[in-house]
Amino acid sequence: MKRNHTAVTAATSAAGTSSTTAADVTEKGKNNNNMWNEEDAGVDELLAVLGYKVKSADMVDVAQKIEHLEGVFGNDDGLSQIASDSVHYNPSDLHSWLESMICELNPSPEPVIIDDSFVNDSDLQAMIYPPAKKVKPNCSSSSSSSTVTGSANPNPSVQNNSNNQVVIVDSQENGIRLVHTLMACAEAIQQENYQLAESLVKQAGMLAVSQAGAMRKVATCFAEALARKIYRLSPQPPHDPPAFSDLLQMHFYETCPYLKFAHFTANQAILEAFAGKKKVHVIDFGMKQGMQWPALMQALALRPGGPPTFRLTGIGPPSGDNTDYLQEVGWKLAQLADTIHVEFEFRGFIAGSLADLEPSMFDLRNDEVLAVNSVFELHQLLARPGAIDKVLSAVKQMSPEILTVVEQEANHNGTSFLERFTESLHYYSTLFDSLESSGGGGGAAVNGGVDVGVNGGGVSPVSSEDRFMSEVYLGKQICNVVACEGVDRVERHETLTQWKTRLDSAGFEAVHLGSNAFKQASMLLALFAGGDGYRVVEEDGCLMLGWHTRPLITTSAWKIR
Amino acid sequence: MLHTHNNILERETKREKHNISINDHNDILIEVLQRLDGRSLAAAACVCKKWCSIVRNDALWEHLCFRQLSVPPSVGVRSVVLALGGYRRLYLMCVRPVVSRLKKRRSNGGHTEVVRRLWNRNEVELSLSLFCVEYYERLLLGDGGAVGGGESAAKSLRFLCKTVNV
Repeated sequence: MKRNHTAVTAATSAAGTSSTTAADVTEKGKNNNNMWNEEDAGVDELLAVLGYKVKSADMVDVAQKIEHLEGVFGNDDGLSQIASDSVHYNPSDLHSWLESMICELNPSPEPVIIDDSFVNDSDLQAMIYPPAKKVKPNCSSSSSSSTVTGSANPNPSVQNNSNNQVVIVDSQENGIRLVHTLMACAEAIQQENYQLAESLVKQAGMLAVSQAGAMRKVATCFAEALARKIYRLSPQPPHDPPAFSDLLQMHFYETCPYLKFAHFTANQAILEAFAGKKKVHVIDFGMKQGMQWPALMQALALRPGGPPTFRLTGIGPPSGDNTDYLQEVGWKLAQLADTIHVEFEFRGFIAGSLADLEPSMFDLRNDEVLAVNSVFELHQLLARPGAIDKVLSAVKQMSPEILTVVEQEANHNGTSFLERFTESLHYYSTLFDSLESSGGGGGAAVNGGVDVGVNGGGVSPVSSEDRFMSEVYLGKQICNVVACEGVDRVERHETLTQWKTRLDSAGFEAVHLGSNAFKQASMLLALFAGGDGYRVVEEDGCLMLGWHTRPLITTSAWKIR
Repeated sequence: MLHTHNNILERETKREKHNISINDHNDILIEVLQRLDGRSLAAAACVCKKWCSIVRNDALWEHLCFRQLSVPPSVGVRSVVLALGGYRRLYLMCVRPVVSRLKKRRSNGGHTEVVRRLWNRNEVELSLSLFCVEYYERLLLGDGGAVGGGESAAKSLRFLCKTVNV
């Protein structure tokens, strides 16, 4: 069994730059001196980042051994055995560690052959080892904790079914496996190999449970969406009642700064467009609960020269029970306007799709200045051919002073399913990551009176409910992107570049958002716990809010050329 | 010796005659309270009923909010703030967390910018906007016209109340 391989030395720095000493277990002699160069060239990048230097050529070998190891663990009768007596080996010496583990446990003859890439049509072979002597697992490497899950299956089969007993030793490693499994599943679906996809999605589900935090939630959402795709379950009746989706969006509004950012930056653009005008009119394509407008009204109330007459037309989808919920929102806004002494008029329109609207419906007045505002609404029009063009030409006809557009910064509208899946996986992972850190800083809410600074207090119940609802909100989007097709798939996000092209060809040109908007946005983000991760970036006059290096939403402003 | 002893006696008798108590002079009390920071002001409200009623006067809190503003706020601000719940609420809900959060960031950021207690126009505008949003949210939740009712912030401002994970 001896073969020519290189022993691995842990590197303290990342891929490829540190020096390594290579020692051959089987001395073939000639390789000795050149080992450093060869090894450098052929190391596996993924593992190198983790600190292991494994030659790519040996990867198969290492992978086999890992599978073997897991399979042996799978025969553990009870979890309690895992916790006891761990014997520590140097995990950085990967290969010999594996050897020692396997020698200690009772190896069975047949090595597991699981194709890690899951790309081809090879069957998954489950491996069952007969129960051996007492298992002494190594509570291994520095960072991750070991989690063990086992699922017993009375009828072990070797043929193309999900793994019968999966023991997860290292959650970090399984994170990588999880991603690969999800991608492989998506690819299987693309190739219409639904059997393979089915087994992969089950595997993904099990792996997801072993993860923690954001990774777990994202993976669960995507696994569920994939399952729906496979079994052709339509995710929901065509539309959730607007009250419910409004509620979800409210929680999302509270948990993280994305919507606040959107509102504040759009308002700033509108405010600047309305400078010096006495009568203003705003058409909001997605009225929801009207959270955007109090801030604008307050800014208008306090602007030098006093407030203008403010008219608001709000558009919303039909509600199942025919209640005029828009009127209620309008009423509340009117109350606010009255309080701060702004002349206010409201009108609500219920429309199944924005494309159903005509400019003549809006009672546009000559002495008024118009602004059109769309937050996360335009991308839904891409589901029906011709709808977006109709709407943009209608907007053009209305000749607004400014059109503010807020959209997700991602391409989830590609023609290839796999491409869409990959894109959205990255996008929503980043989004969930940011949710995780912004929600996690929760202390007790301040209750009036004197300074009640509770440092490091527990997460308040409101915050975790908010976070959960935000996750549901995002989960629905994920389901839509992954599991729906055709007219049902409304979450057709596109990037700024794509929107620019569209709006350019429709006759609009960009209005730069200006430094006030940027300053306000930066300040707003600074207020959020976990605010270190959020970044405002200005690109070509548009503002993008992102998490670390990844932009997530974009605000842009447009006027007729 | 006798001379100084007489002086001391004189002073003591004068003191008994004039018996100055700060509680007799509201304007002096207010002048003093105007110079306090938020925390001390709130503590002052706990001293006695008289002090409590004086401290609850919104004008004091208005002074606190704006006293170190480089440019005094425009005329309309007061009516808006009062309508939305008053300066004390503005201070508690928005100004204090905003300023302290941003101050922390500045000192963490390692800028050479002086850490000062005054706030600039942008911060004022942001605080006012957040204050307005909070008022609206309470309207939505159906708190009725209870302006200033309820000491806890509506949910949209909860993010300000959470501790910063430094």
